[in-house]
This record gives sequence, C-alpha cells and structure tokens, in this order.
Amino acid sequence: MNSQSDAPGKAPAPSMRRRSFLRSSAIFGAGAAALAASLKPLMDLEKFTSTEEFLQKHYKEMSPADMAKVLARISREVEKQYDVRPHVRDLRPMDGVEFVYALNLTRCIGCRKCVHACVAENNQSRSPEIQYIRVLKMPHGSLDIEKSDHNYDPEKVPEKGFFYMPVQCQQCENPPCVKVCPVNATWQEKDGITVIDYDWCIGCRYCMAACPYGARHFNFAKPSIPKERLNPEMAYLGNRPRKIGVMEKCHFCVQRTRTGRYPACLEVCPAGARKFGNILDPESEVSKILSTKRVFIQLKEELGTSPRFFYYFDV
Amino acid sequence: MNDPKKIRLALTTLGVVFAALVISFSLDLWGRVEPVRQLPLVDEEFLQPQTWRRSYADLVKKEDEDELLAFSCYECHEEGKKLELTYDKDNHVVVPDEHENIVMGHGSHGRNNDCFNCHNSENLLVLQTRDGHSLKFEESTQLCGSCHGPTHRDWEHGSHGRTSGYWDRSKGEYHKQDCVNCHNPHSPKFPQRAPAPRPNHLRVNPVATAHFGESNTH
Repeated sequence: MNSQSDAPGKAPAPSMRRRSFLRSSAIFGAGAAALAASLKPLMDLEKFTSTEEFLQKHYKEMSPADMAKVLARISREVEKQYDVRPHVRDLRPMDGVEFVYALNLTRCIGCRKCVHACVAENNQSRSPEIQYIRVLKMPHGSLDIEKSDHNYDPEKVPEKGFFYMPVQCQQCENPPCVKVCPVNATWQEKDGITVIDYDWCIGCRYCMAACPYGARHFNFAKPSIPKERLNPEMAYLGNRPRKIGVMEKCHFCVQRTRTGRYPACLEVCPAGARKFGNILDPESEVSKILSTKRVFIQLKEELGTSPRFFYYFDV
Repeated sequence: MNDPKKIRLALTTLGVVFAALVISFSLDLWGRVEPVRQLPLVDEEFLQPQTWRRSYADLVKKEDEDELLAFSCYECHEEGKKLELTYDKDNHVVVPDEHENIVMGHGSHGRNNDCFNCHNSENLLVLQTRDGHSLKFEESTQLCGSCHGPTHRDWEHGSHGRTSGYWDRSKGEYHKQDCVNCHNPHSPKFPQRAPAPRPNHLRVNPVATAHFGESNTH
C-alpha cells in the first residue's frame, strides 16, 4: 500500500505517474479481491447460523412469544430451502404420560422398513446417510452384540438360524449422553424422551461418545433431503431439518407421539413387532406387555442406564 | 530497503501470490473435502404402512361392483349343493385348478389341510368353527382364536398384531388389524421377503469403502 501514498506526493513525470498508478491500482485491486475471496468461507457462515438464531435463548428460557418468533424463523428458513411450507410446532410433554417402547424379538423379521420409515418421517439426511435405527442380525441362542451384523443384505429375510434386533435410542431413565453435554443442549423431558435443541448444540460429540447404544448421530456434512420427500409436519425438538455440525437422535417421533399418534417405525412394521404407549396407563399395550409377557430385557442393562425400550419374546 | 526496484519486485510477487489465491479459492482448489457421494433414494415401497395382504372381508367391502364379482363364490359354485373334497394318497386335500392361488400350508404339522376345518361346506359365504359355530368373514379373528387361544388373547391386549393411528384413544382413531390382514389363512406363516437396503456408512476414504462393502459376513 506504500506505493499508493507515494504516487501522488512525489509526482516525478506524468507518464511515470500514470503507469505506477495503474500498476498500484491493479495490485490493490487484486489484493482486495484476494482478501474478499479468502473471506468467502466466513460469508458461508451466514448460511449456517443467522443473527437471529445466534441471539436465540435456550429452549427452557424462551417465553411463548420468543418461541413463536423462533418457529416463524424456522418455517421461513425451511420454506426458503425446500419450497415447502412446513407446519412447525413446539410440542410439550403431556401430563401423566411416560413413554415406553416394547419390541417383540420373536416377531421381527429384519426387513428394515422401520429404518427407512424413520428416515422419511424425521427428515434425516439421505446423503450422507443418517439412520436412527440399526437392525442387528444375531445367531440364534445368543444375545452377544459382538456377534451381530447390521450390514446383512441377503435376497430374503428372515434368514434361517438368525434373529433380528433393531436398536435405536433407548430413552434411558439415567441417560449418560445428557450428563456429558457441556452446554445443556440435550435433556430428558418429563415424558421420558431425551431431546436435543439443535440450535443450542455445539457439535462437540461428547454425547455420541457417551451413548452405549450408538444412538446419537452427527451431521458431518450438510444434510441433504430431497424436496419431495420432506415431511412438513415438524416439531422444534423433533424432526425439523438439522444443520451441519449438530447431533441428532431418535426422539420417539415427538411430532407424532405428543399429539397422541404412534411413532412412524411402529406403524410401518409389517410384523407388528413394535409396541408403544404410556406406561403410566395400566390399560395400555406396553403396560400389558411388561406385566404379562414372560421375558423381556433391557439392552446392556448392566450399565445402569435403565432404558425405556424393552425387548420381549413370545413364548 | 528503499530501492524502488526491490519494492516493485516485492509488490509484483505479492500480487501474483494474491492472484493465485483468488483463483484457487474461487475454483475450490484446496481446503474442501471431496463432495459427498449421492446415495440412491430408498424405494417408496419400503415406506408404505399398508399391510402385506388384504383380507377377503376387506376386499368385498370395496365399492367397485366389478371387482366384487370375482369374489362371489356363487358365480361358479352351485348354491345349496354340498361340496365334496378329493384327497391325494398322502391324505392332502387336492386344491382344484380354479383355486390355484391357494397354497395349503396351515401349520408345520400339515394336519390342518381340510377346507371345511374353517369353511362351511354348505354355505360358502360363512366360516365355521370346529364346534359348529357359524361366523361371518368379518369375524374371522374369532375363528382363528378358537384354535390359537394365547395369540388371540395377546392380540386383544394389543401385544400381538399390527396397530396404527393413535396410542391415545381420546385424541383419535385407533386401528387394529385382523389376523388375515397379515397372515394368509391358507398358509399363515410369513413368507420371506426382500429386506430394505442396508446402511451406507459415512466413509470418506474410497479404499475403506471398498473393503467395507465386502465385510458382510462377520
């Protein structure tokens, strides 16, 4: 930048002045362009976090008016990105409800329909792929996860000599993932669902490391969802689209279950292996199962996480 | 260091470096991970919550008159005439060619192979239990339950079978599927089916991906 201030002051000869001006302005122009270009990644940041979102309060500190603004912002952002006007709601836990899931291992045939129905319902990224449910194939007579395989791809299922065990977030009563979160971006709600505030998550992945079930998933890349497959029925703590760099996990389809409906994985299961309901209601399906079925297990119960996800067998 | 030549040289070098940076940034020559591989979308068929089959009772409920005809027994059978069954030498019932879509396979023991264990031999529009009760096709769950007691009990509690709609009955409709909406009454065991695609794990390194694809048997 020296040459620029020198040029008008000394003024040796008109031709020299012009040439040096041209040269210095060319250099200056190139420098400015390079600076702008090198700041390009910073400009991209606006795509990830708007000022409005940056200044947003923690979920639990938001007033209804704040929440209304946030929902409007999310709705606007989703519409801009996907050309679909979503119906975003903030659904709170219902009174006198504690959710429990029960899965009949005798019935599961390993067809993975639940995996993909979940992806469709909860707007998970298709490329790279994020799936909340992992179906483990295990040889009969064991319950050893070390021997399991979730990449099975035979022509037909179920295969002889194997059973299938879908694993997803176990909605622990004592969730290790919540304890390790340094920013309180994830917590357990009173209906038993452990939720994530995607706007509060800093993406440190401590929870991913802490979860013994591999239930937490990180958006390593910008999630991509085809417009025509976007589910417009959304909840703030549920299936609204996520950003790069945040965690996500199964939330028992809060956008469905907190309005009284069954989760998507249950409705699609062709074998009727999945059961869901309110454990506080003695007449609910899950209450009947836990009180009358002979065998049921909690996965890795020795860890003391006390899952709300039970596996049972028909005898 | 006040030599104007040196200053000029330095500035020119800097200019070239900046220009190179501009080009490299604008063309994304560095600092970017390789683009994410676009995975094929899963077939919509795997996302459908419908049951695998539809019961006779559900099918005849259809409004479409033309489709109904195909299901009326008395289009072919003579009304009021008692039907006779034929058996092969292994004492298995011979399914007539007109009913070629029926595969008899009820029970691994193979003993439940008589049409009139469940159908009424004199009135084809009703079912009948072994103790002689006549049941409409819509009431088939009771017929199934007359032999499969514990399963019927579980079905009533909702621990066996498919449910859909609202777990909270006060908020909306709750729907429970009949036995025959999932099980084929003539061969109730679930046939094997093609599974939905396996997961595609995030792997940046193509070599790792190549090996990963083969490790299917561990």
